[in-house]
Amino acid sequence: MDTTLSETQRLLRDSVRDYLRNEVPFDRIRELEREGGADQPLWEYLQGAGYLTLPFAESHGGEGGELTDAAILLEELTRRACVIPFLETTASARAIERHGDEALADEVVRGVIGGGVTIAPALQGSTPDNGAAPRVASGALTGERRFVDYGAEVSHHLVEATEDGEPGLYLVEARGEGVTTDSLSTIARTPLAHCTYDGAPARRAGGAEALQFLRRAGRALCAIQCVGNAQQALDMTVEYVGMRVQFGRPIGSFQAVQHHCANMATQTLGARFLTYQAVWRLDQGTASDRQIAKAKALASRAGTEVTMQAHILFGGIGYTEEYDLHFFSRHGKERALAWGSADECLRLAAGTLDEVQPWR
Amino acid sequence: MEFGWNEELDAFRDEVREFLREHDTPELRAELANRGEAAQLGPRQAGLREALEDRGWVRMCWSEELGGEGKSQWFQFVMTEEFAKKEIPYGAGFGTMVGPAIHRFGTEAQREKYLPGIWANDITICLGYSEPNAGTDLAALETLAVKDGDDWLINGQKLWTSAADTASHVWLACRTDPDAPKHRGISTFIVPMDTPGISVRPIMTISGGRTNEVFFEDVRVPSDALIGEVNQGWYIIANALDHERVWIGAGGGLRHIFDRLLAHIREKRPELLEDDVVRRRLVELELDLDVMEGLVLTNASIVASGDTPTMEASMSKIWTSELRYHISNVAMDLLGHEGALTEEADGFAPLGGELERTYRASPIQRFGGGANEVQRDIIARRGLGLPR
Repeated sequence: MDTTLSETQRLLRDSVRDYLRNEVPFDRIRELEREGGADQPLWEYLQGAGYLTLPFAESHGGEGGELTDAAILLEELTRRACVIPFLETTASARAIERHGDEALADEVVRGVIGGGVTIAPALQGSTPDNGAAPRVASGALTGERRFVDYGAEVSHHLVEATEDGEPGLYLVEARGEGVTTDSLSTIARTPLAHCTYDGAPARRAGGAEALQFLRRAGRALCAIQCVGNAQQALDMTVEYVGMRVQFGRPIGSFQAVQHHCANMATQTLGARFLTYQAVWRLDQGTASDRQIAKAKALASRAGTEVTMQAHILFGGIGYTEEYDLHFFSRHGKERALAWGSADECLRLAAGTLDEVQPWR
Repeated sequence: MEFGWNEELDAFRDEVREFLREHDTPELRAELANRGEAAQLGPRQAGLREALEDRGWVRMCWSEELGGEGKSQWFQFVMTEEFAKKEIPYGAGFGTMVGPAIHRFGTEAQREKYLPGIWANDITICLGYSEPNAGTDLAALETLAVKDGDDWLINGQKLWTSAADTASHVWLACRTDPDAPKHRGISTFIVPMDTPGISVRPIMTISGGRTNEVFFEDVRVPSDALIGEVNQGWYIIANALDHERVWIGAGGGLRHIFDRLLAHIREKRPELLEDDVVRRRLVELELDLDVMEGLVLTNASIVASGDTPTMEASMSKIWTSELRYHISNVAMDLLGHEGALTEEADGFAPLGGELERTYRASPIQRFGGGANEVQRDIIARRGLGLPR
């Protein structure tokens, strides 16, 4: 048991953090919000610098590392409000590599690591889809998926669909024939698409196990994003109240403000532990839907409540567009809902209360 | 990052469990249930302490210099956790806090005089810190120690001195320079409780446990009762408190209460589980327990890695103490009127009256051991670096 980062993990975190601080100004995020799309230059940098190799098997050209390392990287990306399909591509490719078709895994992982392949999971969400659930017949996929993160920006979709009544994951070329994507605007202003498939050529990538892994990895990594948003808002708040002077002293010297900050820090740290633990268990193969749902519920709350409390402590300046705090409160709220909201996750945990065993 | 336990710790956990199975007898339980009124440790509790000392478990994680084996702090953590699960106090008492202070600040002669007795539990210690006018503001203490020839003459009053009725010695903070700034005029003494002039009055608390007030009237002690330099006491106290705070939040046996609550509902009140609201409230408690575990393990990780936690111990303390109230309150609420039953309501009380007992005993966890408001100050100032 050791919740502290290893030396390698610390180096990873610091090097990414330094790069993002220097090379990804918040005005770049504003530009992406105005013009739409993902941060292609940043993706190319991460690919070129080898960061995309982290969780993949050495036999596929990967680092042989763990999802935990990818999570550390993802947290840093979140803390800079970066707009790239890192979670989506990593979770998808890892699901195929770990539980899916071996030949396809080799192709997909090498494509991600070598550049050119990015993947968006298109799964059945908890919000009922209005359109027809995707079905595959004779290698062609037809149906509809709402709420596909980066659906219009990636090279491939990994679609949950049924073939002869059996659920599975199918790889579809996003810009190929029979695929239409419509942009959906969200509070985060990050890319989200409504995707329609009309006889799109689809290759089977994996069955129920791969699908389960993708759901779990997506939810656990999304929880990391929630924690990243909370942590960033907390750190910005602590810095701000430490220097903002009213009544002749920094407002951070007032106990009322301090106790808010203490509660925010406690909530964030608690969610951080559960969330990284969930990712670590995925690596170990000991994760359960229930644990991941609980972690996501906590992280969703932290990503919402801590970022909103930050606004309250910042006052006017944090309420403006020109200040950077809103990236984290908007992204924090959107991530709180993606891959299962706190409420949806708690419903799952409440429905599986029978699984609870006496402590160790 | 690593969220699993290694084989060595797993094996040690089994060993502790085996040890507890051996000692967890109806006789020990009877003694523990009675501890509020008992003036002395019962023979089973004393036996448990002795057996622990024989195994070398009390100080196994301390440096060899302090008579320990220098093991990873995780061993201590695992032991504390297993004891907490069974709700058996492992009874190391304040000796584990005062011993290191004497080792660090005492003279060679004082170490020889006190430490073997403290390690063997022949010397048991109560803390003479709080006073009527010195609670959270401990440095405001007024009990006066005045030099009289070679001796010290002590006059004053201590309050909330738990175990004053059973301890052999008091670890006493006194004012030795009334004119100095308040933090710089305090000294620490170790004083036998049977010294003439000391009297103890019991105070019963709403938890059913006993604490005391202790009066010092012309209590004469020799010069070697002073530990450390004159007026160095605040530094010594702060140092000893740090040593204590490291583990104060560990576990607390709350998961155990949840387990028993769930077992009670499954067995006796299954209709409750058909209510979605009840299920959701139970899951919320589970989440709170998960967070508690996360905070406690994060704190322990920092300690085990050789660093000093700046705020994680305070977070654990706040969360654990507030959850102790919350879990008992929610549980009583879910069960309705039967939640109010005490263990005296023969056979009717849910969890043998544990919910009612926990609820009643919960306030001290929040205001004691450094009030939670003070802990939040520590998080903000020492942890987050906010200004004073």
